[in-house]
Amino acid sequence: MLFFITVSIVVSCEKNDVRMREPQVASLLVPANFPIPVFDTGNPLTKEGIELGRRLFYDKRLSGNNQLSCGSCHKQELAFSDGVALNNIGASGNLLHRSAPTLINLAWANNGLFWDGGSTNLESQAFGPLTSEDEMHQNLFQLNDELMAVPDYVSRFNFIFKDGISSANIVKALAQFQRTLISANSRYDKYIRHETGGTLSASELNGLQLVRQKCQSCHQGDLFTDNDFHNNGIDDDFSNTAFDGIFLGRARVTFNNADLGKFKTPTLRNILLTSPYMHDGRFSTISQVLDHYSDGIKVSATTDPLVKQNPGGLPGISLTPQQKADITAFLHALTDSTFINDTQLAGP
Amino acid sequence: MKHIFFLTISAALLFTSCKKDEVIVTPETEGQTTITFDAKVGENDFALDQNFTIGANTFKFSNFRYWISGVSLIDSKGTEYKVANSYYLVEETKAVDVQEGTFTYPAKKREDVVIKGIPVGDYKSIRFSVGVDETHNNNLSLQAGELSQLSGMTNSSWMWLTSYIFTSIQGTVINGGVTKNVKAETGLNTNYKTVTLELPSAIHISSAKATGVNVKVDIAKVVDGIDLFANPTVGASQSTLMATLATNYGTKAFSVMGIK
Repeated sequence: MLFFITVSIVVSCEKNDVRMREPQVASLLVPANFPIPVFDTGNPLTKEGIELGRRLFYDKRLSGNNQLSCGSCHKQELAFSDGVALNNIGASGNLLHRSAPTLINLAWANNGLFWDGGSTNLESQAFGPLTSEDEMHQNLFQLNDELMAVPDYVSRFNFIFKDGISSANIVKALAQFQRTLISANSRYDKYIRHETGGTLSASELNGLQLVRQKCQSCHQGDLFTDNDFHNNGIDDDFSNTAFDGIFLGRARVTFNNADLGKFKTPTLRNILLTSPYMHDGRFSTISQVLDHYSDGIKVSATTDPLVKQNPGGLPGISLTPQQKADITAFLHALTDSTFINDTQLAGP
Repeated sequence: MKHIFFLTISAALLFTSCKKDEVIVTPETEGQTTITFDAKVGENDFALDQNFTIGANTFKFSNFRYWISGVSLIDSKGTEYKVANSYYLVEETKAVDVQEGTFTYPAKKREDVVIKGIPVGDYKSIRFSVGVDETHNNNLSLQAGELSQLSGMTNSSWMWLTSYIFTSIQGTVINGGVTKNVKAETGLNTNYKTVTLELPSAIHISSAKATGVNVKVDIAKVVDGIDLFANPTVGASQSTLMATLATNYGTKAFSVMGIK
């Protein structure tokens, strides 16, 4: 009698309280020339969570028609961009109004996601493209069912998250993987960290100096972005309020007219892999971008003073053809071939 | 006899070590109360598909939905009992198309919020917020209470801003023979409002008897100061009107009708 009671209670203890294995806590490898990333989204990184996120990122089950994965518009070989100005491969076939952003060093992107910063964190962000009819248009109920039909997913979710497959856990895993998309192995990085292979040519060094003088107020530090929002003078009319204010820039989010036409500073890292440029992909080459900054600034009430560097605060950043060539040479040194070839960031 | 006693004790000890939560506390003390959110249009009972006149406009509603969260009860000494994980979707709605009709949230009427495990005491006021607190509203992957992406209380247009829809009124408005569709929503952290309501007299809550608080939610006051015929859409793109709507929820839409 006594024996029986003891055994049965011990068994119930083990089932409820003792875990044979736990997900392995993971931490990001912070490059020596980067700041410490700060994020607190109640979603601690685990080795298994990152791997699950990678599998989900490349899984076409995540779209309503099972034709698109996150990777369809965020291709590793293009530093997780899509190479077109405005895509139309979403479920509705409609042309999007903004260009797919790159996914680079997102663990440091803690001032809002999307071109206007409307989304607060990677976890919440994923619901936008997942559900929008112009993008993946995935029925979230159905997605749970589709994933539950795959035994490998069931065991991974159950192991990593105590409550198994759910919409919330899907976006948590995706966020974990995306935080590992760290690019810090370009020739510039090797130069700045004094590593082997860190040689910059005279032209590239000159370009670096010019970038520091003329561009790094916005493309700051070794992340090459301030994660902030600026009106860089590509437009001067922000009266179109269509599509929930998508053309208003940051003002869509802040409801403040002082933010009209401001868009997020993209990183310069891998910039020569990520054409076309600007939030709507209007410039197809980096030379068009440089020409815009030297000669194409349109002035409106919210144009950033940083693009009015000419004497007397006149619009434009003066750049000679040689200086533009040197800057372009330097930008090549920001291409990170390790990043675009890393099999841990590629599809399974 | 001695043996049986010993067995009981050892079994209880083992049990305790399994899970502390399972320790039995004297059930006589804690009570429950039901807060009933009774929707009205002025003095009339709210109903879907029925004409109501508010000012110069005639409305026919197809839904009225809002999040009640952060509920607490305050006793006569001023001690606040905060209800953990209190996120409730109060609603009277026809079927809701979710994700542009990808799936349907069924028609539903829900006005009772049952709160259990309240420490015994005499409570003189209740407090709750309309909407979702900043921590949970900024991170749609945090699940608590009834929060869900699947109940049609956020959608892609709001997800571009990372927010739940805090409150929603939909239907039609007629003025001078012209009919328009109405959609009046609030969301975003600045529109999260907290309401404190004094009860007409303190209620004694314990396991001894069931208690309840009847709260009136007056749609006429929700839309006060906003001409929904002139502005039939209120949402993130109409931030000023949305702020007025949210303030109305926070200051005058809710009142206590009675206790039981």
